[in-house]
Amino acid sequence: MTALNTFGAIMTHAIELETALAAFHERAGNSAQAVACDKRRRKMMRIRREAVLEITLEAIEGLDSDDYVLELGDTSEAGQQRAAATAARFYREVAPGINVRQARRALERAAREHASQLEGVGR
Amino acid sequence: MVERLKNYIGGEWVEAGTSQWTPVHNPATCELLAECPESDAQDVDRAVAAARAAFDEWRSTPVLERAQFMHHFKNLVEDRFDDLSEVVVRENGKTLDEARGEVRRGIESIDFGIGVPFLMRNDGVEDISSGIDETTVRQPVGVFAAITPFNFPFMVPIWFLPTAITCGNTFILKPSPQTPLSMQLTCELIDELDIPEGVVNLVHGGVTSAHAIMEHPGVSGVSFVGSSPVAKIIYETCTRNGKRVQAQGGAKNYIAVMPDADMEASVKNVLGAAYGCAGQRCLAAAVAVGVGDAYDQLRDELVKQVAGLRVGYGLDETTQMGTVVSAQARERIVNMIGEGEREGARISLDGRELLVEGYEDGMFVGPTILEDVTPDMSVAQEEIFGPVLSLMRADSFDEAVDLINRSNYGNAASIFTSSGAHAREFKYRVNAGNIGVNIGVAAPSASFPFGGQKDSFFGDLHGQGMDSIDFFTDRKVVIERWFAG
Repeated sequence: MTALNTFGAIMTHAIELETALAAFHERAGNSAQAVACDKRRRKMMRIRREAVLEITLEAIEGLDSDDYVLELGDTSEAGQQRAAATAARFYREVAPGINVRQARRALERAAREHASQLEGVGR
Repeated sequence: MVERLKNYIGGEWVEAGTSQWTPVHNPATCELLAECPESDAQDVDRAVAAARAAFDEWRSTPVLERAQFMHHFKNLVEDRFDDLSEVVVRENGKTLDEARGEVRRGIESIDFGIGVPFLMRNDGVEDISSGIDETTVRQPVGVFAAITPFNFPFMVPIWFLPTAITCGNTFILKPSPQTPLSMQLTCELIDELDIPEGVVNLVHGGVTSAHAIMEHPGVSGVSFVGSSPVAKIIYETCTRNGKRVQAQGGAKNYIAVMPDADMEASVKNVLGAAYGCAGQRCLAAAVAVGVGDAYDQLRDELVKQVAGLRVGYGLDETTQMGTVVSAQARERIVNMIGEGEREGARISLDGRELLVEGYEDGMFVGPTILEDVTPDMSVAQEEIFGPVLSLMRADSFDEAVDLINRSNYGNAASIFTSSGAHAREFKYRVNAGNIGVNIGVAAPSASFPFGGQKDSFFGDLHGQGMDSIDFFTDRKVVIERWFAG
C-alpha cells in the first residue's frame, strides 16, 4: 500500500504506470499503444520536473496506489481493455487533487486518451 | 573513503590549504556524505585573483554570448534535474517534491539571467542641451561573491550567479559547509560549459572564508542569505570595506486568518507554509493569528490536518515533511519548544519525541503546534527555524496588524480572508517585504525583487528582479557633443 499523498508520488505512479503499459502493449503486439504510452511517460516526467511549485506542495488525501494495480498477464483485447480502464480511472481520480493547471490538464488528457483506447479496442 | 571536496578556482579543481574539515551528513540516515574543507584567506585570495584575471575578457564578451552560456547552463541543469534534486534531499533532508521545487525555482533564476541582454539596456536623451546627447550605460562592476545558507543549497546561490555573470561580472560562491554538494555538482556542470576560466569560482568553508571574502579588497560586492545576526555582521563588515552588499536575514512570519476566510482551504495552505521544508525557510509561517471567531476554527482544523502529515526520509515520495538539517538544529528547536511551554504556551501537537521507523537516528522534529502564545513569549519573537507553528489570538483586524508590526522582523506576512477591504488594508499597513493574500508562502518569482524589511534585510537593493540588475551593474552617464568639421 503506497499513499499517493504528494504531487511527486502521483506523478511517479503515472510514470511507472505508463512504463509498465508500454512494455505490456509491446508484448501484446500493439506497437501504436506502446508508443503512445512511452510518449505519455516522457510527458509525465516533464510535468514532474516543471510543474512542481510551492502551491503543489499541499498534502493530497484519499488516494492509494493499491487502487490502481494493473493486471498485465493477459495481453488479449479484453486484457488490454481492463488495463486501459484502470489507467483511465487512475488519471480521472487523481487529476482533481492536483492544483496546478498544467499538470491537471495533462492528467485529464491522459485519462481521455486511455478511455478512447478503451473504446477503440476490438473495433 | 569518503570524498573530500575541492575548491573550483580558475577552471580547476584544487585542494584547499587546510587541515580542517566539516563532515557533511545526510540528516535522515546520518550517512557521512563528504568532508568539506575549511578554506582560509589564501584560498579566497586565489579565487579572487582568478576572478579578477577573468574579468576583462569576460566583460568584453558580448552580452548575447554571455546569455548563451546561460542557455547551455539551463539545459545542463534540466538534464541533471533529478540528480540535483536528489543531492538536495540527501544533504538537506527536505522532501523530493520540495527539492524539485527548489531546483525549478533556481531554473527560473537562470531564465532571468538569460534575459539580461534586454534588462541591461538603458536610456538616453538627444539634445539634452543644444547639440548635446546624454545617455546612460550599464557596466559590470567586477568580482561579486555570494555567501549562501543550508536551507536552499541549490536555489539561493542560483538567485545570484546567473545574473551576476551575465551582467559581465565574475563570481565567487561560498556555499554552506553543511550543504556544499548541490553547488559541487552545479560547478561540475558549469565546468562543462567551457565558460572562461575564473568567471565562476567555488570556495568551500565557513566563518574564516566568509570573513576573507568580506575583507578582500578585490571583491566589489557580496550577496548573503542567512540569519539576521550574521546578516547584520555581513552588512557592517562589507560596507566598512567599501563593498556593495545585499544581506537577507531571518524572519518571524505572521499569518492572519480572518473569520471570513475559507477555513479548510486556508488551513491547507497555512500547513504547507508552516511545515514545508520542515519550517527551515525564511518565508515559513511561524505565527498564525486567529482573528475573533477564526481562532478556534483555525486551531481545530490545523490540529486535524497536521496530525495526518507523514514525516520521513525525503527520498520516499510519500514523505510530506523531512528532517531538519542537523543535530544542533534539532536540539535548538526542541529547546525552544520547551521554552515556549515554560512561558505558558500550550502544546496541542508535540513533535519533540517523534521517531521515524527505519531512521531512528535521523534529525526529525515532528510538526508542532503551540497554542495561546502571547506577544511577550520567546516563541512569538525569536526565529525557531523549524516545524513549529505558534497560534495567537487577536480580537480584531487592527490588533492583528499591530501584532505583526511589533515584530523585529519584516520578511513576509500573509492574510487569509475573503474581504478585499481587509486584504487592501493589510497590503498597505503591514511592514513586511513580501505580502501574501490567501497565499501562505509569499515567495517572489525571479523577475520580482525578494523583499525584506526591518531585521530581515540589510542593504538597499534586494536579490532578484530589477534590483539585482542594479546591484550587479554600475550606471555610467555619458554626455557627448561632436563639433562639426
